Amino acid sequence: MRRPFRLGRPERDVDDELAFHIAERERALIAAGEEPGRARSRALERFGDLSRVRAECLTIDRDRDRARRWGAVAGSLRQDAGYGLRRLRRQPGFTLIVLLIIAIGIGTNTAIFSLIDALLLRPLPVPHPEQLVAVGDPRQTASLSLGLPQASLLSYPVFADLRDQTRTLRGVYASGYAQRLDVVRGRGGDVTHPRGRFVSGSFFTVLGVPAFVGRTFTAAEDRTPGGDPVVVLSYGYWARAFAADRGVIGGTLSVNGVPLTIVGVAPPDFAGDVIGQASDLWIPVMMQPSLMPHTPWLSDRSVSWLLVMGRLAPGVSLAAARTELTALVARSLLEHATATDHDAIEHALRAHATPVASGARGFSYYRDAYRTALLTLMAAVGLVLLVVCANVANLLLARAVAQVREISVRMAIGAGRWRLVQLALTESLLLAVGGAALGLAVAVLGSRALLRMGTGVTLAAGLDGRVLAFTAALSLGTAILVGTLPAFRGTRLALATALRTQGRSVSGPSLVLGRYLVVAQVALSMTLVVGAGMLARSTIHLAHADVGVARDNLLIATIDAQRAGYTGPRLLALMRDLTGRALAVPGVAAATLSEDGLFNGRYAGTTVQIGGFSARADSDTTVAEDAVGPGYFHAVGAHILRGRDIDAHDNETAPRVAVVNASFAHFFFPRGDALGQHVLADSATWEIVGIVADIRQNGIRDAPARRLYVPIFQATEGVSEFRVVVRAEGDPARLTAAVQGALSAPDPSVAVLDVEPLDSLIGSTIQGDRLVATMVSLFGVLALVLAALGLYGVTAYTTVRRTAEFGLRLALGAAPAAVARMVLREAALLTGLGIAIGLTVALAAAHLVEAQLYGIGLFDPPSVGLAIVVLGLSGTLAACLPASRAMRIAPLDAIHTE
Amino acid sequence: MQYDGTMDELGVSLTRGTLDLLILKALSWGPRHGYAVAEWIERATGQALLVGEGTLYPALHRLERHRLVSSEWGLSESNRHAKFYRLSAAGRQRLLTGTSAWQRFVGAADRALRATAPLPS
Repeated sequence: MRRPFRLGRPERDVDDELAFHIAERERALIAAGEEPGRARSRALERFGDLSRVRAECLTIDRDRDRARRWGAVAGSLRQDAGYGLRRLRRQPGFTLIVLLIIAIGIGTNTAIFSLIDALLLRPLPVPHPEQLVAVGDPRQTASLSLGLPQASLLSYPVFADLRDQTRTLRGVYASGYAQRLDVVRGRGGDVTHPRGRFVSGSFFTVLGVPAFVGRTFTAAEDRTPGGDPVVVLSYGYWARAFAADRGVIGGTLSVNGVPLTIVGVAPPDFAGDVIGQASDLWIPVMMQPSLMPHTPWLSDRSVSWLLVMGRLAPGVSLAAARTELTALVARSLLEHATATDHDAIEHALRAHATPVASGARGFSYYRDAYRTALLTLMAAVGLVLLVVCANVANLLLARAVAQVREISVRMAIGAGRWRLVQLALTESLLLAVGGAALGLAVAVLGSRALLRMGTGVTLAAGLDGRVLAFTAALSLGTAILVGTLPAFRGTRLALATALRTQGRSVSGPSLVLGRYLVVAQVALSMTLVVGAGMLARSTIHLAHADVGVARDNLLIATIDAQRAGYTGPRLLALMRDLTGRALAVPGVAAATLSEDGLFNGRYAGTTVQIGGFSARADSDTTVAEDAVGPGYFHAVGAHILRGRDIDAHDNETAPRVAVVNASFAHFFFPRGDALGQHVLADSATWEIVGIVADIRQNGIRDAPARRLYVPIFQATEGVSEFRVVVRAEGDPARLTAAVQGALSAPDPSVAVLDVEPLDSLIGSTIQGDRLVATMVSLFGVLALVLAALGLYGVTAYTTVRRTAEFGLRLALGAAPAAVARMVLREAALLTGLGIAIGLTVALAAAHLVEAQLYGIGLFDPPSVGLAIVVLGLSGTLAACLPASRAMRIAPLDAIHTE
Repeated sequence: MQYDGTMDELGVSLTRGTLDLLILKALSWGPRHGYAVAEWIERATGQALLVGEGTLYPALHRLERHRLVSSEWGLSESNRHAKFYRLSAAGRQRLLTGTSAWQRFVGAADRALRATAPLPS
């Protein structure tokens, strides 16, 4: 009799083995004539160090057992995987469908998550990003504020003070948007407008970004204004515009007419310190006055345009740096403030100190702008994945039921239930991993396509470790969700079948679980469809919102007169000339001027003093401002509520007048006597001659600001760009070329930029909403199709299962329609239940997308109604085929199946 | 047989590789328990090569760990429970390659030890 090899009990084995040896030796010694009393000690003596041998053997055996245990696990896994793969290969159609469904679910999730990762989570690709400290409002990546010095955005002199005085940072740089750059490569090349930033010489060294080719900037580039005409290109721009030619290093690039030497290229993964807006090139901030004549931003404390980033000195906390930096900014601002500004700056600083926060994730405008949109999309794809899981679980369940006999045979020959569950889970893991691999391809294509849908965001949304980990976690979760229920259900059914006598189970067991899963799918789809409806309706409201002007007829052209050198009287003459020329274009009903225009993101503000008005908060006296041409309100189609429009008599020599909007009038003159009152603003006094209904200026969702309109001819000081606003008789887009031509005619050196219909300007401000609504609708349809397929599957299965019953009913004289009704009734029950649950969830969760809604309430009857109709129709459609099949069951066939 | 220590005085002892080879050889005629392996080595070599018979066991277990031998519990000639070792296919292979390597080594060492003159420079 031989005992089998024993795992896990090496002590007993070793002790038995060694005892046997010593006993044998003892017997041999006695047989050889040794005294029995001494034989034992002699045997031990010959054996040597017993305890050492024992310990050594035990160590080796434990090592052996460990290796074999892992080997056994790996072996069974390998075996299961092999078995699963063979099974899946035997049913290629089934496998392919499941893989595709999972790929859609995981792919969409990975795509959205990769965007969230790139925009919201990922740190800058620099060494030790956690040491970075951002000074200023990180959203203001392309902002420019003239006038009262700001706390959220710094001027160059304030940056210089900060740089020279800080003790908590061991390196600090400034970075500011370079406005529109006219870049020409070579002689007579095309003018392009890459995105660039002015940065101080320490930019690359503070970030720790080395040159990929050539060199980056050095401290030397921080000394002399205009002294270092150099530029560093981003890798992306270098590859795009220069075909990654190393020969361009040392060559020149004409930027705004100034030749700059290309000294280097940044590494491929570095797209600058602004996330979501990749930089194409960097220019030393000392070159700003050369590239932008007449704008002395380096010395002007009233021009706030820089964001600042620094690296913490060793051992300094962010809080300590914040304390120091806010104090330094405040001191720098107040020390140099004029007497009139001093109080205003002090007030402003008390309300909002300079933001100092971690700079690990760089600066970003889009991070805030798209946060809710991305989270909404993430929730939507999460729902899709749940529908996918329910759907696949249902498919696997149906198959487990179909294979119940195979499973019961396996159990009969001794396979444990756990072993079979493990087998089934291994298979669903294979499916999930396969689906996820396909899904990654979907994700890469999907996220790129999403970014291209006119969002303006330039991101390197790829598959980094975090995204891959997310996908891996998803596929594991999917495998468990999808595999567990069918695995347990299948083995239990098999257990039951094995116990029962065969023959009675031809029609197969009922699919109670499958019905629950269908209800879940319908419910999830319902939630998604209701959400999609609400978002779509919001977008329609946004797209047709009343903005207070004739939005369908306006065309707005931006004119850059400053770069061509127009100021003072020449600028006035140019404005008048261009207005006249625009008006002369056939099809133009009216033409006027505006400094800021509409829906282009520009904002100008000022502080006002009004006799008899006492401010309760610092922000009370802040108003929005625009300078507009004669007949502006008439031309744009605004409603003058009282008084008059700005007219041609309101010129540079006439008394200063102003029109205010309704919000302005109500706020400062609640008794309704605004007309004829005087407003002190921009160091001048303006008489209110008109009140106009509120006009949305930049965002449809933004509440209208209190706004002051002054005649543009009375306020040309500091005007660099202005807009010619044209009202067309018909579609303004058709006049684009004609207006562009007319405006370019008098002086070719005056740049006419962006001639665009207002409607498309408004459209681009709601691009994000449109995108979210489109995507959620798409996901809704996806979920709907899956749910309908699921319903179809379960209904068809039930119908087949009841073939005998239906046949009998028909044979006994039931009308076919009655049988069809039975099938439809069950499907309707499942659909109805799903709709009810989904609706409840949708209503409960509506507030989560509240920020995305516009013009509708949290309970939106049209969306709900539409969703019910769509789901109901899909459900009916899915049940129709099985129902009609049930009607045509021949009683004879039914008996044969039994 | 007397364990007299003469081998130690010469500074030549059974290295692990040699012991492994002898164990594999001992098992090449069929399964044996540890005691029988020790007996075989002593008889076949005519010497008490083992520095304490116990040193045999870690070697046996190591061979088992590396799957050169397998083990089973069975009954000895004296009708007691004993752990029997059996040569695996890998162990048989190792015995062949080990033996020829050993013979090459011994031949080379032998030639060197018989040398009568320093090597020509």
